Amino acid sequence: MMKRYKDLVPWIIYFLVFGGMLFVRGGGHYVHLAMQIIILGLFATSFNVLFGKTGLLSFGQALFYGLGAYITGMAAKSFGPDYFMWALLAVPLVAIVVSILLGALSLRLSDVYFTMLTLAFAQLAWGITIKWYGLTRGDDGIQAIPKPALLTGNVNYYLFSFLVVTACIYFLWRLDRSPFGSVLEGIRQNSLRVTFTGMSVFRHQLLAYVISSSFTAIAGGLYAGIDGSIHPDMFYWTMSGSIILMTILGGMSGFFGPIIGVTIFVLLEDMVGRSTEYWSFVIGIIMLIMVMIFPHGIIGIATYFGKFFARKGGQVDNP
Amino acid sequence: MNRKLVTILSALLLCLTYSVSFAAETIKIGALYPMSGRGGLYGQDSEAAIKIAVEEVNAKGLPGGKKLEVKVIDDQSKPAYAVTVAKRYITEDKVNFLMGVVSSAVALAVTEVSKEYKTIFVGTDHGATDLTANAFQKYYFRVNNNTYQSMMAGAMYLKEMGGSKKIAFIGPDYAYGRDQLAELKYGFKKLGVKADFVGEFWPKLYEPDYTSYITAIIAAKPDILVSGFWGGDTVAFIKQAKAYGLFKKMKYAHFDAGGNYELFSALGDDCPEGLILGSKHHNNWPDTKENKQFVAKFHKATGRYPSYAAQGAYVGILFIAEAVKKVGNAENTEALVKAMEGMKLKMPEDPAGFTSFIDPATHQMVQTESIGITEKNSKYPPAKYMLGKFKDYPADKIMPDQEYIDLLKKTKK
Repeated sequence: MMKRYKDLVPWIIYFLVFGGMLFVRGGGHYVHLAMQIIILGLFATSFNVLFGKTGLLSFGQALFYGLGAYITGMAAKSFGPDYFMWALLAVPLVAIVVSILLGALSLRLSDVYFTMLTLAFAQLAWGITIKWYGLTRGDDGIQAIPKPALLTGNVNYYLFSFLVVTACIYFLWRLDRSPFGSVLEGIRQNSLRVTFTGMSVFRHQLLAYVISSSFTAIAGGLYAGIDGSIHPDMFYWTMSGSIILMTILGGMSGFFGPIIGVTIFVLLEDMVGRSTEYWSFVIGIIMLIMVMIFPHGIIGIATYFGKFFARKGGQVDNP
Repeated sequence: MNRKLVTILSALLLCLTYSVSFAAETIKIGALYPMSGRGGLYGQDSEAAIKIAVEEVNAKGLPGGKKLEVKVIDDQSKPAYAVTVAKRYITEDKVNFLMGVVSSAVALAVTEVSKEYKTIFVGTDHGATDLTANAFQKYYFRVNNNTYQSMMAGAMYLKEMGGSKKIAFIGPDYAYGRDQLAELKYGFKKLGVKADFVGEFWPKLYEPDYTSYITAIIAAKPDILVSGFWGGDTVAFIKQAKAYGLFKKMKYAHFDAGGNYELFSALGDDCPEGLILGSKHHNNWPDTKENKQFVAKFHKATGRYPSYAAQGAYVGILFIAEAVKKVGNAENTEALVKAMEGMKLKMPEDPAGFTSFIDPATHQMVQTESIGITEKNSKYPPAKYMLGKFKDYPADKIMPDQEYIDLLKKTKK
């Protein structure tokens, strides 16, 4: 019973914070920020399926984020607002095909070689997007992407993306605690042992890669609807890089760590960016402190204090 | 553990109530410029010029005794971030105007925000012709010239120069570079100039090494090399090409961003003589009272000479103030648009006897383009070379005609 209650708490906070956004200071700007947070939150959570759970550091997940955004954006722009939803549905399917291909190629390598290859693929996609002016409009990006009337307006679109993201995150959460999730964790801890149990490490890694990439692509597709403008820098390595930063900031060991990281990152960028252009300096210092003193991120700090108080209360903390 | 999480998240919610606000009873302008990275200098110069312009305007006074108040925020040259800031300016800070933007990609995204919220956006520093063509919307105005105007003036210059026209083109491989070549070719066609393009070279933006391009250009043996580089790329290219003696073998012409002052200060003694360069603003031309005053004021305030970006930002503020004076307030957006559509404004870059004005159909400032040739001149240190022997190209001859706008609509849609 206690366990169930404990499981529910993060979800209650999740609904309180992101549902509450609608009532904070009349909406407007904060709803706009909240949209970015939940969409990037989905990106970071699905990235963490690979990184925190399976132990695979992909430096190229921006490829799928950009892919999702460009499929949705180009379809809605050329065929009209009604195709926005269809494109959004097609996004995970395309991402599955692309990620099976790229995953099969890059998962043959391990460790840093895997990381470099994912980076190379993402940069390739970025290069194509920049150069293929006729199709993607290159560095100009795509603007004025139309949406169906029902999704127009800040609040409507927020509710829509909130629903989609919540459903996706719930799926990933169930996955996280399923037997499949345990196998992924096993692969991270000791992949040789997983082989000894007769399971294929490669297949599990590939499936994790495909799942992670498809949900990332959904996040990208949703992003195309926020402002109706997308740009090739969604494919760029700095995009993958900041998702890694956000995940580490929040804590990659907990399921909700990445979302917390994204929330703090986006709010900090908003607040610090108002008064100074040295925003990257500030985030750099924060990251430095986090990595040096709290290597497990914000989730790690919370766990640490949780254990501390639990011990004070006389309870025995069984790991 | 969960209690701690609650504490942290509620602290976050508290943070949401934090915001920096403008003082009341002012006319608010939200400016977006890159303040760091490659475009950082343009942002810094723009901010300094905005201060000068705001002081001038506030000293003269505005209707109702109101004051202008401008906030400048770093757009990080990222379209997504710039859109967030623009929306915050409008919904939180309740600004009356948006202005600025160096990157065309950022401007294309911000103009959509301006359209959605019906807030006037005054572009001061981005060149893409598309903003006043395909992406045109009625709340957008641009006070700096677009690449079409620069390239059309360039085509006229090359026509007057006479001689055979074996031309090679080099420019960054993205819309800004590609547009310039298309516009030059269109200009030649319109003027009836027969040009023979012997080579097109497309290095990527911020390419560190141009050696292979330089040898290929020399091998193509053009009479004129037309360049469409931007910012620091020009400096890198000129330094490397000089080592290969490229400037002795052909003429070098660079119309949109070649004659920017920051180039001369970066090149110093390395600047070759006889380059044909144009810019959106020249510190030593035209020789009018307005331009001299502007340059002197800027130099006094910052201790350096302005890059072209400063003039754009300066004019942007005067332009907004002039419209507010005409309408009598800063709230009636539709009336302000009307006032801006018929606006005439004396810019520092205007030659004697000419006043720039807004083209009501495209909301593009109709202005003169001046092209000069590099020569020794150390009156504007740290530059050792400046432009001289200027030629002015009249505003009405270098505006994009309807035919070109139609062509853009066909090819870019």
